[in-house]
Amino acid sequence: MEVLRNMWRRKFRTALTIFGIVIGIFAFTVMGSMALKLNKMIDGGKKYITGQISVSPKGSSYGLATGTLPIDTLNKISQIDGVDKVAAMASLLVSEPDPDNASVSFGNPPTIYGADNQSDFKNRNWETMDMREGRMLDKNSKNDEVTIGINIATDKKLHVGDTFNIRGRDFKVVGVVAKTMTGPDDYVFMNINPAREMLIASNPFMKSLYDSGKLKLEDVNSMAGVSWKDGADSEKVAAEIKDKFGKDVTVMSPVKMGEMIDKASATFNAIILGSAMLALIVGLFSIVNTMVMSISERTKEIGIKKAIGASPKSIAFEYTMEAGVIGLVGGAIGLGLGVLAATIVNNKMAEKGAEIFLIEPSFLVAVIIFSFVVGIVAGVIPAIRASKLKVVEAIREL
Amino acid sequence: MKKVKTVVKAKGIEKTYKMSKRNIVKALKGVDIEIKEGDFSAIIGPSGCGKSTLMHILGLLDRPDAGNLEIDGTDMTKLPEKKAFKMRAKKIGFIFQGFNLIPTLTALENVILAGRYGGMGRVERMERAKELLKMLGLGDRINHKPNELSGGQQQRVAIARALMNDPSIILADEPTGELDTKTSLEIMDILKDLNEKEGKTFVIVTHNMEVANECKKIIKLRDGKNA
Repeated sequence: MEVLRNMWRRKFRTALTIFGIVIGIFAFTVMGSMALKLNKMIDGGKKYITGQISVSPKGSSYGLATGTLPIDTLNKISQIDGVDKVAAMASLLVSEPDPDNASVSFGNPPTIYGADNQSDFKNRNWETMDMREGRMLDKNSKNDEVTIGINIATDKKLHVGDTFNIRGRDFKVVGVVAKTMTGPDDYVFMNINPAREMLIASNPFMKSLYDSGKLKLEDVNSMAGVSWKDGADSEKVAAEIKDKFGKDVTVMSPVKMGEMIDKASATFNAIILGSAMLALIVGLFSIVNTMVMSISERTKEIGIKKAIGASPKSIAFEYTMEAGVIGLVGGAIGLGLGVLAATIVNNKMAEKGAEIFLIEPSFLVAVIIFSFVVGIVAGVIPAIRASKLKVVEAIREL
Repeated sequence: MKKVKTVVKAKGIEKTYKMSKRNIVKALKGVDIEIKEGDFSAIIGPSGCGKSTLMHILGLLDRPDAGNLEIDGTDMTKLPEKKAFKMRAKKIGFIFQGFNLIPTLTALENVILAGRYGGMGRVERMERAKELLKMLGLGDRINHKPNELSGGQQQRVAIARALMNDPSIILADEPTGELDTKTSLEIMDILKDLNEKEGKTFVIVTHNMEVANECKKIIKLRDGKNA
């Protein structure tokens, strides 16, 4: 109680100090929630990518291909020792990018994920998906059926039974995948052949080859997933594929890709949290400053307390707590504002299916505890100085 | 005849303050003093004679450079600050010139604070503080903050605070210095009463002869020595 009353003595100053912490914790909450969301997305990608050996045509980036993988090559890959199944995939963006109407979006753009539904291939980390409604595509799925990610369903207001027009073709929605917080939320799953056809249609060069009969539909594969047999070493299998087909394809081994993703996400987190930390450090020093001032104002009071028998420990504790409470109050307000801002932005973005923040209760609790600790840390040195004040000198100010 | 206990025994107390390299003040140059249980003594002398320094040393707020100090038969000469606070809390009560209450705390809380430092239990210190304030005529003022009390009332709160841990000695530094004559007399009456009826031991530092004349024993200081 006395702590609160002491804080309240200099209302304006305390309010300013708290405001400093509010800004710091606000930044920390917002940036932290953003980092959490990104990590969740990255983790999902990592889970998928480390569950298979990914093969893509030379000269392409992951998934979205300029070249293609001939089916012949994929069949040969499936003969390699340790390889279990190979599944061809064709992927492209749901809608053609429009540079005149470009908007920077956070997360994945809606992507068509066409997979060979006759293949028994399974990603080791991602065998099944939870469904929000309907079902996942299977061996009996027709070419005009799609299962869509939650973000696409929300954005286009689609449900099972609705018709979804993609690049001029009508598809029937048979399932909506439950929220995964990562890649699949923005996917349209379909059989491989319609995806191949759309891929060809999107590329005039491929289209001319295809029309002239030089390119077969089954050779249009932008990526392939390779699973390994139980007991086989994924890295050895990947090395073997690379050894034999390295001229034509890029092979991404699960372990190496995992390490790469970890490195990238660590850098990313460091940047995000580093900038939030900066704001917090400024807030911390404002507490230090306030405490030093308020202690020098109360020198006499400390002298009296020591004269009537206060232990140095109890003096130090009192001032440390005061700083801690300043941190806590600032933290609570900053956290509240941060959550509010993140929620508002999320709600706005949710319509487009691109939430930026992940608000996790455990993170919020950690932030509150952290803000208290920041206060304590800021208060410790001024408090120790207070506890070491010479009584006689303090009393002389009487 | 019953032997009277010696509360404070100081011999050859010296204290020098180094204000700067060239300004060295010899505040005390060998003072002897003895206070017995139940004493009501005044330390008097012109300003700058070392009265306050002596009080600080007797109250364990400061240490002498030379000499011996015993309180309740225990040598306090080289007591480290780490242990001094406990002695101050339990053995010594202070009454200051400027009342020196904590402004954010009520009268009751100010008194309770001393009990807390003295290691009293929560309930015990609450009851004792109320009882002391009532005894000093502040029963209806316990929840007032210092700025809502008159000078005389504030000083009575300070007296209650000094009595809280039932100390061996109460040191009062110009206890009436900021009070008008009538209130000063009231405060002196309270102190005398406590001395006579409760047997409390007082040492009052003052330069006011009227106050000193109320005391049973007068210790005179001049230029840092017993005069």
